[in-house]
Amino acid sequence: MKLWTCLALASILLGSANAKSASGDRVLVLVPKIESAKHYSKFLGSLETRGFEVSVRAASNTSVALQIDGERAFDHAILLAPAAKKFGDGLGPLDFTRFVDDGGNMVVAASSELSDFHRKLAAQFGVVFEPRSTWAIDHANYLKQNNASDHKVVAASNFALAPAILSPEFASTSAKSQPKPTVYFKGIAHKYDAANPQLVPLLTGAISTYSGRDKGEKPMENTDTPLSGKSLGLVSAFQTRGNARVSFAGSTAMFSDALLSKRGGDNQRFVEDVAKWTMQEKSVLRETGHRHHLSATGEQPGHYRVSNEIVYEIDLSVYRDDAWHPYVADDVQFEAIMLDPYIRITLNHTDSAGSAPDTATYHGDIKLPDRYGTFTFRVNYKRTGYSNVDVKDTVAIWPLRHDGYPRFLSAAYPYYTGSFVMVIGFLALSAVWLFSDEPASKDKAGAAASKEKPKGKAKHKSS
Amino acid sequence: MASETQADTRAVSLRSLVRRYTAQTPQRLRVIDAYMAFCVAVGVVQFVYCALAGSFPYNAFLAGFGSAVACFVFAANLRMKTDPQNRHQFPGGSAEGAFGEFVFSHIALHFVVANFLG
Repeated sequence: MKLWTCLALASILLGSANAKSASGDRVLVLVPKIESAKHYSKFLGSLETRGFEVSVRAASNTSVALQIDGERAFDHAILLAPAAKKFGDGLGPLDFTRFVDDGGNMVVAASSELSDFHRKLAAQFGVVFEPRSTWAIDHANYLKQNNASDHKVVAASNFALAPAILSPEFASTSAKSQPKPTVYFKGIAHKYDAANPQLVPLLTGAISTYSGRDKGEKPMENTDTPLSGKSLGLVSAFQTRGNARVSFAGSTAMFSDALLSKRGGDNQRFVEDVAKWTMQEKSVLRETGHRHHLSATGEQPGHYRVSNEIVYEIDLSVYRDDAWHPYVADDVQFEAIMLDPYIRITLNHTDSAGSAPDTATYHGDIKLPDRYGTFTFRVNYKRTGYSNVDVKDTVAIWPLRHDGYPRFLSAAYPYYTGSFVMVIGFLALSAVWLFSDEPASKDKAGAAASKEKPKGKAKHKSS
Repeated sequence: MASETQADTRAVSLRSLVRRYTAQTPQRLRVIDAYMAFCVAVGVVQFVYCALAGSFPYNAFLAGFGSAVACFVFAANLRMKTDPQNRHQFPGGSAEGAFGEFVFSHIALHFVVANFLG
């Protein structure tokens, strides 16, 4: 309770600080007992200083409700009570998935004493935790201490290449000279659905990490190959189609003061990245506007005609560091779809002076297909870690009017000439027929004959 | 040997054909013959163009080619009716009447062609 008052005081002091999250600032933190919140004072304190309104509740507190009168009572939920079989007044896994469906974000921390509640909840997101009282163990990478090193405290450094979620220093392509960032993890491993594009394994095991029971405990019964290496998930992040975010960490300890402050570890930074991403403090994309019009006239008609040249523009911004910024990328694509995409082009980022300073405008000059029908203009932008942007317009493309086609086709010029030549030929023949007198020609022949005759006569005479 | 003599006889008959044509065919019929050859030439040119360039404005091709064919047919008709050798086949027909039919058919034809051309 002392901490609670501390936090409350802090929130009053920082009352002027606005929330950093794009979606809301009400955080519900569920801990096994209210006293156990003191183990997470650093983590919860950082939320407070970032401007969140943190409500810490014990798992058994029956007054906890995720919804009040059909509305979400909180924007984010942090579950730090892995052993709890239920929360509040009979809140089950489905209540929490409904919370996520409604747009709530969730951080779920697990441990070796994981309840069925958490297993069911995680299974909804493609995360399957290992059996109870197993640990992620690594005999090569562990927290080295002077006395009694614990191989269950895995020093994990296999980070996913997800720049939208993790800070640049966690990028696995960092220079070799720098020491690799390390996150201390003590808890349970999970299998993740690698085929699910919505699920990102943020932190996975090293080649020597495996999931097993501790020394002295009964070894695992089944003879299946134990979960190990890259397929062993330690921390995974999930983003729903509604852009709600859920993170699963197999370790409550990694959020604790003990491991956050461990020297040589980067838990502080990593946990902050995961929490910031999950609670919509970074990599939140939004579309602030989009438009399309004819390139020639600049107006947007009720319908286009086939093969029209049009301009399509969309404005995108990204939320980070407490503000909206222009979102700059080179892979924003436009599609014109009628069952199949007829056109798919990459839009170019333009620095148009007219646009707002916190948006980036993407521009595309598009020649519509020579096909009429009802098309969908769509920008379907889904990238790991970023919110999904899916913008659709239904647009009618009409065929040309009967008088909209070209009047004379260059391909048909020989036929035009041919028919006109035939007209001229007809006129010429008629003229020859009319003006050359057939009887006259007969007369000519007769005259020639008669001319010849006198000649012949003359000859005759002469002879 | 046989082929040589055949070629000889063919050449001889061709020469006699030309001689008799030039000697016996009236000038009007020769004009019609030239006109018919011209029709064939125009039709062949359009057909070859269509075969090479594709039949895209097909209506235009039909109009142009059909115009040449119809002109050929009309000219053949006129020639038949005005040939003095055929006079007994067309009793009561006059050259002027045949020419009138020819002109009327042409006017109708070129109306149709111009409408169909595109």
